[in-house]
Amino acid sequence: MNAFLIAGTVLIAAFVPLLALCALAREIDGLVALELGGTLATLAFICLGEGFQQPSYFDVPVICAVATAISGFVYARFLGKLR
Amino acid sequence: MSDAVVFTLLGAGVAAELLCVLGVVVMRNAYDRLHYSAAATTVGPLLILAAVLIREGMTSQSLETIAAVALLFVSTPMLVHATARAARRSDFGRPGPTREEKPE
Repeated sequence: MNAFLIAGTVLIAAFVPLLALCALAREIDGLVALELGGTLATLAFICLGEGFQQPSYFDVPVICAVATAISGFVYARFLGKLR
Repeated sequence: MSDAVVFTLLGAGVAAELLCVLGVVVMRNAYDRLHYSAAATTVGPLLILAAVLIREGMTSQSLETIAAVALLFVSTPMLVHATARAARRSDFGRPGPTREEKPE
């Protein structure tokens, strides 16, 4: 197990408090946690791809970064209408 | 020597991300949390990108890592702005002139 795999595992473990925040806080606070979760997922995929030394794994963080941005905009659009 | 630099950059990047997670969890409202959510796409990803670049050199993996980090770096300010507007609208209603400010 190399340093990049450990870093990826730590970044995945950091999802736990964000999941708790999504479940327990207001919707808009959950959206902030979701955006941070997308960033963490992107970085975890980079670290795991580097740790496993698989070039094909590096496609995943690019897709994840795009999906994080699009999902954030969609949720922000619809949560802004809730009151 | 190169390994030590990679480990240091990687450790600093992960520590920066954990600090941002802590900030998002500890802060009281969405506006305060957004500061930490935005900071998580600047320092941490750039440090991890530097670690990958030093370890790999300019390969296809490095280029895809640059693309992913650049996407995060460019899209997050817009996303934070949209989220802050949504939070404001959710808390105070649609922004605009009040009844007294509207022209007759």
